[in-house]
Amino acid sequence: MVKIFFLFVLSLMLQLNAQENKSISEGTPLQGMRGKTVNLPDISALGNIIGYLSDDPTDSDKNQLSLNEVETAFQGYIYPEMRADIILAIHKHDGDYESEICEAKASFLNLGYGLSGEMGKIHIDFGKINKLHTHHLPMTDRPLVLKKFFGDHELAGQGATLKYLIPVLPFYSQVQAGFWSINAHHHSSAEAEVLAINGSTITVNSLIHSDEEFSPADKVYTFRWNSSFEVGSQKELELGVSGLKGRGAHYKEHKDNVEVTGADLTFKWFPSTYKKWTFQNEWMHLKREVPIGELNRDGFYSFLNYRSNKYWDYGLRFDYSENAFPTISYERAFSAIITRHLTETSYWRLTGKHRNINGENITEGWFQLSFGIGPHSHELE
Amino acid sequence: MKKIFLILFVLCHSPLLAKINIITASQDLRSITEFVGKDEVKVESLSNGNFDLHMIEPRPSMVFKLKKADMVVRIGLDLDMWMDSLINAAKNEKIFYGKEGYVDASVGIELMQKPQGKIDASMGDIHIFGNPHYWLNPENGKIIARNIKDGLIRLKPEKKEYFEKNYSDFCLKIDEKMKEWKSIINPLKEKKIITYHNSWVYFAKAFNMDVVANIEPKPGIPPNANHILYLINLIKEKDVHIILVDNFYPTKAAMEIANKTKSKVIILPSSVGGEKEAKDYISLFDFIIKKISAN
Repeated sequence: MVKIFFLFVLSLMLQLNAQENKSISEGTPLQGMRGKTVNLPDISALGNIIGYLSDDPTDSDKNQLSLNEVETAFQGYIYPEMRADIILAIHKHDGDYESEICEAKASFLNLGYGLSGEMGKIHIDFGKINKLHTHHLPMTDRPLVLKKFFGDHELAGQGATLKYLIPVLPFYSQVQAGFWSINAHHHSSAEAEVLAINGSTITVNSLIHSDEEFSPADKVYTFRWNSSFEVGSQKELELGVSGLKGRGAHYKEHKDNVEVTGADLTFKWFPSTYKKWTFQNEWMHLKREVPIGELNRDGFYSFLNYRSNKYWDYGLRFDYSENAFPTISYERAFSAIITRHLTETSYWRLTGKHRNINGENITEGWFQLSFGIGPHSHELE
Repeated sequence: MKKIFLILFVLCHSPLLAKINIITASQDLRSITEFVGKDEVKVESLSNGNFDLHMIEPRPSMVFKLKKADMVVRIGLDLDMWMDSLINAAKNEKIFYGKEGYVDASVGIELMQKPQGKIDASMGDIHIFGNPHYWLNPENGKIIARNIKDGLIRLKPEKKEYFEKNYSDFCLKIDEKMKEWKSIINPLKEKKIITYHNSWVYFAKAFNMDVVANIEPKPGIPPNANHILYLINLIKEKDVHIILVDNFYPTKAAMEIANKTKSKVIILPSSVGGEKEAKDYISLFDFIIKKISAN
């Protein structure tokens, strides 16, 4: 009897143990809630290593392989339907490493009546590419027109944006407006000796631009309207217009008011699960009012990309852009890009680029290795 | 006459008569939702049956569909992570996480291959919550249907009995078909299989088959020459005769292995709509079982 009882208890314990070993799904937490058991946000780190070659004798950055950028992200929910994304970066700028808050924003996913919003330091949603982080771009370098009109990095501002998904239309259509404060570029002064009218030399203070780039700054107001149409099975046409009004980054010296308008058109076709064609075009017009008059500049790029399977992408890009300065220059560039994807956040890429600047030819090449560790997500882009 | 029009207009727009507008992540979930919801639902899937569910690219037109939805049914377990950004962008409070119209079909599934300990990318594109291809066990179809039925009742409690009945009918149908499918599979001698991706473990469990290895050395990592050689030797050693490849994965490595062994490559849909004949959840398994048994 004791043996039977013992065997019964033993079998019961074995059954209980077997039940404990079963793993039953309780559902899946959202992105930003992966570490739910210890209430951790999604934490990730991304690195971007760039090897750069150029036949431009004046280019001091050429023929180097270096870590171009490291990005860390902390992403999670702070309240129902409200999430926070903090993205910190250390990146190479003119040969030196600088740390910055890349983005730090609170997103209000549902403000009611189809409205949503973001607040904090944010990559401004202007056109198709400005909002994207370096590692997320389908190309190594940013298109010329963005560099000429917005500077070497993404145009990012501190402020807020309000978005409205239009409910009555039979297709996707969203409008948004934002106001931003963007830091002006720094200047320092140095003493310089100049020739006076009487032939003697005198010492004067002269302003030195720490940054020769042009970009909008100060109080900036933006607007974007983008729509999307399903034009067939697995075919999508996206159209957008953007506008920006503000001042120049060197306003104190140049007294320039700035307006940028843009239009973009993207066609995507997914012939099969891994194959994908993308034809993306973006045009921008810069109007810069300076005391001596008004500068009007244009630029655009066309990007054709073919993803042949899960791992390989092949792209071609044509760039044209005028500069933002009083003495106009014209630049055209043609790039060929090959990407091999390793995982969702890691890839290597080769880019060859031929530039023509006012008739002068330059050939450049890049090797890029971008890698990611940990769960990393961006909003729909 | 005017009154009749007015009454018709009111009736047409009455929530009591309106169909529940449902968006699903996959065609399998669409099909099961239609079995349970029948005339009370209008269902659309965001993906095609012959697309890799890991790799769906979120698009604005999908946001538009979710914006209009009363309910969303997702696969969960990290397979459809692309749904997160879509749901956020749609700003539709009915389908936000935890709301009445949010259904995670994986709730209650007995998970397989849930990784333990440290997980990182050295293990490939691993799913941290467990293998997510759970719909390929028809028994799990019943759990999916239960989750969907609960969601439908939350949205239309007055139709509770209707949804309960449809759900019971679906479960009975699965039980009936399971007997039929097992009667075809059980007599087969070849129960050991190699699969391209680790997507057939739930199916193998349901039909007492044995997944010996995968052509991908690790999830999402393409095979190299060493791994192909390893598989050739393994197939010979374990006497494996079947290589299953989902119809969207590359077949080159599988063909190479088959040519050097006695094994045969069977290309199968792993989702409803992956082949013309696999038009719903039941006929998906009819097709899979028929293809396997024919080889």
